[in-house]
Amino acid sequence: MSPPTPLLAARGAGRRFGHRNALEPVELELWDGEALALVGPNGAGKSTLLALLAGALEASVGSVERRKGTRVGWAPQRPAQYGRLSARENLELFARLEGEHDPQRAVERLLGEFDLPAEPEPSANLSVGNRQRLNLAIALLGDPQVLLLDEPTAALDPEQRARLWRRVADLRAAGGAVAFATQNLEEVEQGAGRVAALREGRLVYVGSAGDYDRGHVETLSA
Amino acid sequence: MRRVFLLLRKDVLVLRRSPLLLGILIAYPIALAVLIGLVASYGSSKPRVALVDEDNLPAAIVLGGHRFDVARTIDEVSKNVTLVRLSPDEASRQLSDGRVVAVVTVPPGFVSTLRGMVRSPQLQLQLSTGTISSRVEQQVQALVYSLNRQLQRAYIASNLRYVQLILHGGDGSFLGAPITVLGIQKAQRLLRGMPQTPRTATLLDFLHDARLALANTNDALSSTAHPIELVRAPARGRTWALSAEVQAYALGLTITFLALLLAAGSLAAERDENVVGRLARGLVGLGQIVWSKVALAAAVALALGLAISLAFGVVIQLGGVTGGEPWRRLPLLVVGLVLAGGSVGALGAFLGALAREARSASLIAVLVVMPIVFLGLIPAEIVPPAGWISDLLPFSHAVDFFRSALYDLSPWREVALQGLWLLVLGAVFGGLARVGARRLLA
Repeated sequence: MSPPTPLLAARGAGRRFGHRNALEPVELELWDGEALALVGPNGAGKSTLLALLAGALEASVGSVERRKGTRVGWAPQRPAQYGRLSARENLELFARLEGEHDPQRAVERLLGEFDLPAEPEPSANLSVGNRQRLNLAIALLGDPQVLLLDEPTAALDPEQRARLWRRVADLRAAGGAVAFATQNLEEVEQGAGRVAALREGRLVYVGSAGDYDRGHVETLSA
Repeated sequence: MRRVFLLLRKDVLVLRRSPLLLGILIAYPIALAVLIGLVASYGSSKPRVALVDEDNLPAAIVLGGHRFDVARTIDEVSKNVTLVRLSPDEASRQLSDGRVVAVVTVPPGFVSTLRGMVRSPQLQLQLSTGTISSRVEQQVQALVYSLNRQLQRAYIASNLRYVQLILHGGDGSFLGAPITVLGIQKAQRLLRGMPQTPRTATLLDFLHDARLALANTNDALSSTAHPIELVRAPARGRTWALSAEVQAYALGLTITFLALLLAAGSLAAERDENVVGRLARGLVGLGQIVWSKVALAAAVALALGLAISLAFGVVIQLGGVTGGEPWRRLPLLVVGLVLAGGSVGALGAFLGALAREARSASLIAVLVVMPIVFLGLIPAEIVPPAGWISDLLPFSHAVDFFRSALYDLSPWREVALQGLWLLVLGAVFGGLARVGARRLLA
């Protein structure tokens, strides 16, 4: 019997942009049913780490390993969608690219779950909150087992936040995992099992959320 | 392939949703085609030139025994201009307000000087001051040249009649007076009937030489009148006027502009929309994103190129030009449009990858397209380095492809060669764009 492997793992993965080191080599694993919060001040490397784990960026050093067959959904901090397409058209396009068996059904389901407008209004004209909802809905296409969310609740109202965390809880209950970047310490305490803290591109702490020193986090965020 | 098609379909949808861009895309080639058509029609148009007759030209003039119908002669020689008879005052008015571009005046005494055949009569030319005055001057010079050729033929025919009279003898007229000439032949016969002495032998030798010399007068006079004659070689292809050259440049220019701009802008727009990372994390490879832009450029080039070709075809058909219609060459044009659009699109995608932002990419594409086109317009025979650089860019190959497809009777070799160039350049620029597309993720 082979030893268990994490759903996702950064193996000394780091990233440079030109001469700037955005992320020093990082060792990090994400296991079944886990919720990992990435914390740290702006520019600490949280978004870069999530993009590396998602496969949206190539690692300059090291690698990212994914358990065979694991599907990953990614919602970047700035919504990634086509402004001239409606919410429905964006979802339909990405559903087809994700290889959804029944794209139309997936689109209808997500439009309903995220209360997105069904009208042919270009998504560029949607409110900031609706654009973020669409961003999250696209990340859920393809039935992902791992969700990588970059400050997912920043533009959401309380009801939508609650819906999102319920959805994340369902995913974890089904054996999936989530890693999310946040500046909101309440979300860390309520939603995360583990915390990974970054500062100036370096991973400075990885441990359980309960053991994590809040004062230390505030020092990092200052 | 399916994913490239999905992105292509998205880009077409986005294009349809951009009314301003779509309007420019449709209006631009139409405006371009109309402008090029106007320039071409100006090049083959006949400017209006006033003819002021101050000598009261008769209906017919007899010169050297040759009768000239004045109206018909003017009609025959004025192939490049439209001559309109006007009074001196009216001609002056129309010249000043631009309704005629030149005034040709036949001064008093013109016909009598012409009939005298001693001095050359003069026509007076007055030109408008404008950019086309040099062209009009050339056209009026061509008119006078044609007139001189007709007169030369008449003079030569008249001179030859005198030569024949000297050779064979008979009745004729000189300066209006009747004359009877013995002729060399009869003189030889008379001398042979006389007692042969050294003097008659000398005279017979002279008459023999004179007869031989005068027998060649016809060719000698003609060659003196035209020391050098320009003979145009038979045309090697289909009708050239307007159809092939103008269409080739209109298609090449439009496609280069649009495909370059579209591919560069749409690739960089993927980054502006922040979707490159989302696509590149396993949904669509960077190479597939690049090729979807190349496909978009090829598709738009095909659609607009065909529209321009059809418009030109209608104009040519209505204009009654035969031999240069694009109809029979449409399948070849389709291949050329796709190859040219794709090749230029690959170059555009490369620029888009370098620029990374849609606005910068569009600006760079506009700045780059002009030198590309101008390089393609410089004849390689005159500035070889321009030709070498142009060979490494798709524009000149696209124009050569279209020109050959529309004009050559047997275009296959040229079309295959230029098609191969476009294919290779497309692959090279596409490869460079694929490498450069990594910058979109940064």
